[in-house]
Amino acid sequence: MKRRWLSATAVLAGLAIVAAACGQAAPAGGGGADKGEIIIASNFPTSGADRASGRGPEAGVAYAVQLNGNIKGFKITHKPYDDAVNGVHDPQKGAQNFTDMVSNAKILGVVGPFNSNVARATIPVANRASLVMISPANTNECLTQDFPYCDPKPAALRPTGKNNYFRIAAPDTVQGPAMADFAIDTLKATKIAIWSDNETFGKGVADNFGKRVTAKGGTVVVRQDFDVKSTNDFRPFLQRAKDAGAQAIYAGATSATKGCIPRAQMKGIFTTDIPYMGPDGIGDTQCIKDAGDNATSNMYFTNAAADASQDAANKALIDDFKTKFTAKEDLGAYTFPGYDSAKILLDAVGRAIDTAGGKMPTREQVVQAVQDTKNLKLSTGTYSFDKNGDPTAATMAFYQYKGGDWSFVKQFSVGQ
Amino acid sequence: MGTIGEAVRRRRSDLRTGLMGRALDIGLIVVVAGFLILLTTRVIDHGPSYFLQILAFAIANGGIYALIALGYTMVYGIIELINFAHGDVFAFGTFLSASLLPIVGLNEGEPFVLGSVFLLLVVFLVTMLVCGVLNVTIERVAYRPLRHAPRLAPLITAVGMSFFLEGALFLWKGPSNVHYPNILPSAGFEIFGATIGAKELIVIAVSIILVIALALFVDRSRLGKAMRATAQDRDAAQLMGIDIDQTIAATFFIGALLAGAGGTMFGLYYGTSVFDLGFSAGLVAFTAAVFGGIGNIYGAAIGGLVIGMIQSFWDGYFDSAWTQVIIFVILILVLVFRPTGILGMRVPEK
Repeated sequence: MKRRWLSATAVLAGLAIVAAACGQAAPAGGGGADKGEIIIASNFPTSGADRASGRGPEAGVAYAVQLNGNIKGFKITHKPYDDAVNGVHDPQKGAQNFTDMVSNAKILGVVGPFNSNVARATIPVANRASLVMISPANTNECLTQDFPYCDPKPAALRPTGKNNYFRIAAPDTVQGPAMADFAIDTLKATKIAIWSDNETFGKGVADNFGKRVTAKGGTVVVRQDFDVKSTNDFRPFLQRAKDAGAQAIYAGATSATKGCIPRAQMKGIFTTDIPYMGPDGIGDTQCIKDAGDNATSNMYFTNAAADASQDAANKALIDDFKTKFTAKEDLGAYTFPGYDSAKILLDAVGRAIDTAGGKMPTREQVVQAVQDTKNLKLSTGTYSFDKNGDPTAATMAFYQYKGGDWSFVKQFSVGQ
Repeated sequence: MGTIGEAVRRRRSDLRTGLMGRALDIGLIVVVAGFLILLTTRVIDHGPSYFLQILAFAIANGGIYALIALGYTMVYGIIELINFAHGDVFAFGTFLSASLLPIVGLNEGEPFVLGSVFLLLVVFLVTMLVCGVLNVTIERVAYRPLRHAPRLAPLITAVGMSFFLEGALFLWKGPSNVHYPNILPSAGFEIFGATIGAKELIVIAVSIILVIALALFVDRSRLGKAMRATAQDRDAAQLMGIDIDQTIAATFFIGALLAGAGGTMFGLYYGTSVFDLGFSAGLVAFTAAVFGGIGNIYGAAIGGLVIGMIQSFWDGYFDSAWTQVIIFVILILVLVFRPTGILGMRVPEK
């Protein structure tokens, strides 16, 4: 009995310490932040295998908040959330994060998520609370646009009927077909084998890739969707592709869903090297590691956002970023799209404060302000949003593996 | 109290009799025949060299599962415990050998010469031994103190051990995919238009050698006899002067030797590993052990081979999205009609 009391006391003491720590974490309105605090949350997979994808945009948001620590008397802080479980992005973890954000009245907007399946799970949570979301990287077309094959429909994700979700990445209806054009026009491959990880994003982009290949007169010689968790052997698929005369292989997957492991296994099956292509999900260092000694200049990926370093005007910005964020994964393909998403949100918060007469704006006011964003020129493009939350113009960039890292090939602007 | 065997026989005869049973039988035959006809047409479409090629992949794939399955089946056979940690010992084997290869001087991109064979052998042996010691330690720490406890208790410690090992592997190499150095030559020889790679040959050869060696060991050696005796009746074996603790420890050791070898081959063949590999691969391997008849060494080998082959053939001829479904449909069908697995289980009757 005595021991039980002791342990109960210990638990209470522990709780008290945690409560005290939490209390301290909330700053007591110092410096120029007289009017209070506004929190910009971010939600990316930032641990494990997915850190290579998620840390870049998170660093971008952190950098944007660092540069804009005070807006019209409000102190701006960044609260990062991680949606990875065991190193892989997890829709349920994302939904949990969003539930937490919704209950925090200081959070007026979220940058993220990174993965489309996480977006699908989190948009309804944020929507019920009118919390604005801006994703730098979601590309699944069904998140914003209604196609007959969409399940769930975009409207089903928005229970209040009012849109709260925006993105600056080009949807998969652009990303998949863009790579298909590249494969057929530039790489001169007409017979293509496709596999996917059977996820919202991977399967969607693979389907869109395949449709364009067929529309351009090419042939999809093999199409497979794998349960990647239990699949380690891609050899039967590769052999089948080879037998059907595949001149290139497209992976609708991410590095965390074994995107580049088939590339390593191609060695020994394909005696002549053929192109291996994928979406932005394989555009990281993990893919290069996984491809092992079969990483060659025949590997390509598309990025649904512009490469900030291609615009000379961004040089000072990028150099400054590099001095403040020095880890290798800080600067990735989605770092500056993350930065830009945060800038759009901060710009909107500024206008919303004006709407609220200099007081703390409501979440609805922030959503409206983001929707009203007009030709905002940022590091990766000039942004306005249509009524679905899609950017009115997006950029598609191509990268190729060269000498140990991914290098930029070309980029072009695409309308919706 | 009827024995398990008796209950199983009764169940089977229940199924076989009556109209329902016969309808089931006929239904099964129709399904299997239909599937075989479909498979045959696909095989003919793709031609013989493709078939041979897939067959080589399939046997290699199955060989690796078989090696993992053996560890599950041996431990279950002797103390009726599903050693959940076994899959993680296997994953540990992939991690350890991946780290050992550069240490002994085998690096990706270097030519594979005669000396490399020797170095690779060293890696194999060290990995196997360390896995063996690890598994014996697990048995000593987590299972032996609970040998006389209710059966659920060691099952829970087994799950605990599995999570513990997974956590340790997570801390060791992180949560990302771990690239395994590709050191084996990708060359192969051609036979009837199919290229049988050096990798497939090595995996198939090593699996066959290890399975035969294990079978001979259990059938012929003194320790093997002690293991069989312990499996049949632990108390009687003890009365006959068999050291039970030592025999059980030896079983864990040998099971883990095979897991270590399997882990090394897994890495060499697939070129990748990940900290929670033990869960996904372990589940398939355990399924293979049940499929072949748990407790039965030949059963585990055949079960692993069959599951690996279904996987590869389905990937090679049909739609991969269905591969897992098909494996488990076949498993259910086999267990409904042969509840003791393909070769029949061998567990102590109490």
